[in-house]
Amino acid sequence: MSDRLPEAIDPSLFEFAEFDEGAGERIGYSDYSYWKSTFKVFLKNRMALHLLIVLIALLLFTFVQPLLPGQNSPTKINIDPATSVQMRNKPPDSTFWFGTNSIGQDLWARIWSGTRTSLLIGLIVGFFEMLVGIIYGALWGYVRKLDRAMTEVYNVLNNIPTTIILLLMAYILRPGFRTMIIAMCLTGWLGLARFVRNQIVIIRDREYNLASRCLGTPTRRIIGRNLLPYLVSVIMLQTALSIPGTIGWEVFLTYIGLGLPVSIPSLGNLVNEGRLIMMSPDLRYQLIFPTIVLSIITISFYVLGNAFADASDPRNHV
Amino acid sequence: MRDIEKILEVRDLSVDFKVKGGTFRAVDKVNFFIHKGETFGLVGESGSGKTTIGRAIVRINETSGGEILYKGRRINGRIPAELDRKIVQKIQMIFQDPMASLNERAKIDYIVSEGLYNIHGFSSEEERKALVQKALLEVGLLPEFASRFPHEFSGGQRQRIGIARALIMSPDFIIADEPISALDVSIRAQVLNLLSQIQKTKGLSLMFIAHDLSVVRFITDRIAVIHLGKIVELGDTEEIFSKPLHPYTRALLSAVPMPDPRREKGKKSTPYDPACHDYGEEAPSWREAFPGHFVYGNESELEDWTRRFA
Amino acid sequence: MADIAEEIVLDVKDIVIKFNLRGQALTAIRGTSLDVRKGETLAIVGESGSGKSVLTKSFLGMLDKNGWVDSGSVLFEGQDLAAFRDEKPWLSIRGKKISMVFQDPMTSLNPLKNVGAQIAEVYALHRGYGAKQATAAAIELLDRVGIPEAGKRHRQYPHEFSGGMRQRVVIAIAMACAPRILICDEPTTALDVTIQAQILDLIRSLQREYDFTTIYITHDLGVVANVADRVAVMYAGKIVECGSAEEVFYDPRHPYTWALLSSLPQLGIKGKPLFSIKGTPPSLFKTIEGDAFSARNPYALKIDFLREPPRFQVSPSHWAATWLLDPRAPKVEPPEIIRNLRESRQAQDAWFSGSKA
Repeated sequence: MSDRLPEAIDPSLFEFAEFDEGAGERIGYSDYSYWKSTFKVFLKNRMALHLLIVLIALLLFTFVQPLLPGQNSPTKINIDPATSVQMRNKPPDSTFWFGTNSIGQDLWARIWSGTRTSLLIGLIVGFFEMLVGIIYGALWGYVRKLDRAMTEVYNVLNNIPTTIILLLMAYILRPGFRTMIIAMCLTGWLGLARFVRNQIVIIRDREYNLASRCLGTPTRRIIGRNLLPYLVSVIMLQTALSIPGTIGWEVFLTYIGLGLPVSIPSLGNLVNEGRLIMMSPDLRYQLIFPTIVLSIITISFYVLGNAFADASDPRNHV
Repeated sequence: MRDIEKILEVRDLSVDFKVKGGTFRAVDKVNFFIHKGETFGLVGESGSGKTTIGRAIVRINETSGGEILYKGRRINGRIPAELDRKIVQKIQMIFQDPMASLNERAKIDYIVSEGLYNIHGFSSEEERKALVQKALLEVGLLPEFASRFPHEFSGGQRQRIGIARALIMSPDFIIADEPISALDVSIRAQVLNLLSQIQKTKGLSLMFIAHDLSVVRFITDRIAVIHLGKIVELGDTEEIFSKPLHPYTRALLSAVPMPDPRREKGKKSTPYDPACHDYGEEAPSWREAFPGHFVYGNESELEDWTRRFA
Repeated sequence: MADIAEEIVLDVKDIVIKFNLRGQALTAIRGTSLDVRKGETLAIVGESGSGKSVLTKSFLGMLDKNGWVDSGSVLFEGQDLAAFRDEKPWLSIRGKKISMVFQDPMTSLNPLKNVGAQIAEVYALHRGYGAKQATAAAIELLDRVGIPEAGKRHRQYPHEFSGGMRQRVVIAIAMACAPRILICDEPTTALDVTIQAQILDLIRSLQREYDFTTIYITHDLGVVANVADRVAVMYAGKIVECGSAEEVFYDPRHPYTWALLSSLPQLGIKGKPLFSIKGTPPSLFKTIEGDAFSARNPYALKIDFLREPPRFQVSPSHWAATWLLDPRAPKVEPPEIIRNLRESRQAQDAWFSGSKA
């Protein structure tokens, strides 16, 4: 059945229109941008957004804190001018916002200094892991000839418990800032390398990579421009998770006595000190404050890493 | 008219793949050649080995036996770096899936000129940009597309970008691996016309790998029909279509759906049954049944098949 | 050609389907109507972006989460399927009264269950069969769809079958409850051409035996010619032409149908370029004014860019939505290829001379 014809149409409209070839091409495409969509999806995640703000505030503060007026040195043992006695185990008050520890050091200053140290370790190790993990993983996944050898190396290193390596390193090189970093760099890159390798094995025979080989593109450029850009989300996630992981290992090593010496405050040291006196309720603050800071950092990195990984998955870009 | 010069020759080519429990022979002692300037069709179904042959020619797959000769020089196996570089420039490939054959994270500008970077095909940035523009125009795309990303384009446009990427290298020989199978019906004609036109204006030799016989008939000069790694029939396109000898070729032909309701509704399909061959007594071989028209079979089969067209 | 019954088994009226994509509401189906007659084979032809899959998914309530039927109705057995708001009413329709066969058999089957169990599941769910009875029915059905040694193979897993065999299993699952309508979305596109012929034959014979209605969705005009009684051509979310298979192939009226038919290589002449439509189908993100095909239509009239054309009847069973059919429009002959389609049948006869010898 026909629809009713409209009455008043200008007869001249029934002439042929000019045919614009370009117009046909232009109507085809859409203006979707991968990174813009990733950003949008990420921002929609309120929890991630809030934690991001919290984390940034925290990070800024750790670096700004020593520059503020009236801050104590984290290592200075504070002595009460009136009594000439160390101000030990003082609960939080107006002078010492987080109280003092068992030898009279300002916990507020110690916590921020400790956070700086731990974060520094986490970031350095994280960066190293990223560098070595990506290079090793990419070559491992892409260059078939190296696959067997590199798999063996991975298996051997992976099977040695991390704890033993860390213990060994700490024993040989003596506990300290550098030792901790070296020891954790030695073991940390394996996880990311494996991830990268698995992802690359999945995408290395996709047609666009075959096309690049046909065009003579050298391996390094295929890895750099064809493969790694797809792995950004995986890499970011792993690195984001490795930072709290590293800090966790640091805490553990300190717990077993192979961490940083007490003279260098770190979150591990602080948690350990707090743990020792946690049974007495009025001294518990010495455990609670470093634990809260540690928890905030850990949770934030985990949530942000996962939120970013989710956001960068194109399937979530609706 | 085509030159008698052979631009590509394949002799006893075999390609094996390692699988669980041994090796799988994907290509089994295949022989054919391609004249300079002609369009050669390689037709087969999935698993026939046609894509493997194409990839072996551009050195993506390794060969396990036989030779591939380009302009008389062996190009499979280990070859000097200088020859490898030459092949990169002279032999190019167009891939099947326009959604998978472009790097999603790179701009069209880089994708199209990627090969040029590798062969140092330009002396300045302006020259490179000009070459990219020219390539895009040649395939019917607008130069303004160079600054965009692949996901912004449709399947047909992406496939044309893939063609531009191959053309910018000024190759002599292009292997098109099912270039239109993944495209919509009305877009296929666009791409086919483009390939046809490019081949004529540039005097390229084209190897067209396909599973769709109707397409092949339109665009090729000679075809080879391949089944489970072996070429079963080879000859001029019109010759094969008018005098199909091998039962597999006949089955393929009868299975092609024609856009004609009255014909289609009355059609009976004739499937191919490999058991129709009895090679116990007489071994099959590659024989010339008519001038330039080859088929794989034994003496009695050949007699049988050619009798129909006597 | 089967007699097209008058009884309408599915009646789609002015349906509008929208999607929420990146914060925008896009219209995938822009208000179209269709009736499906009992016992027929209807082919919906269209390319990517035409909306053909979206339309049929709405018959099963299988639109993506971000899609919905904005207006219009889909009448089936006295109910309006478009008015269903949650899952519950669909449970007695999907797989039971209306079934679907998808393009890729590998992703349609559960890789962790053997094929017999997947069919038996349907019997157990919709017909209440017990375990033994369901399995026996499954084996019988597997045999009916051409799986050899069904008694043994029903215990095998999908990956142990070839592509064509898997598609037969998928068809068996869809057929298990003898649905009234079977929707096949590009069922043979992923298959080799020789297997394709077998699958189409199978569906045809099942349709005769079980007396159901089939809707094919495809872009392959050869398949359409093979299976369809009636054809509906879709472009950019609307049906632009509809009629019997012979009417649409031998007397098409819409420029898009002309373009589709003209661009087929089977009808091409070697040495001359194939007819091809310039440009690309419109993306959903751009609003469409007037006729969606106008930008690519060499026969476009000025009015095509301003006002959408209404339907014009060519015969009681054949209509097309193009301003060219308006009495005020200039007379236009379809392209030579279309006019020659009848004559080129002789050329096609020659095509088959080889195989028929």
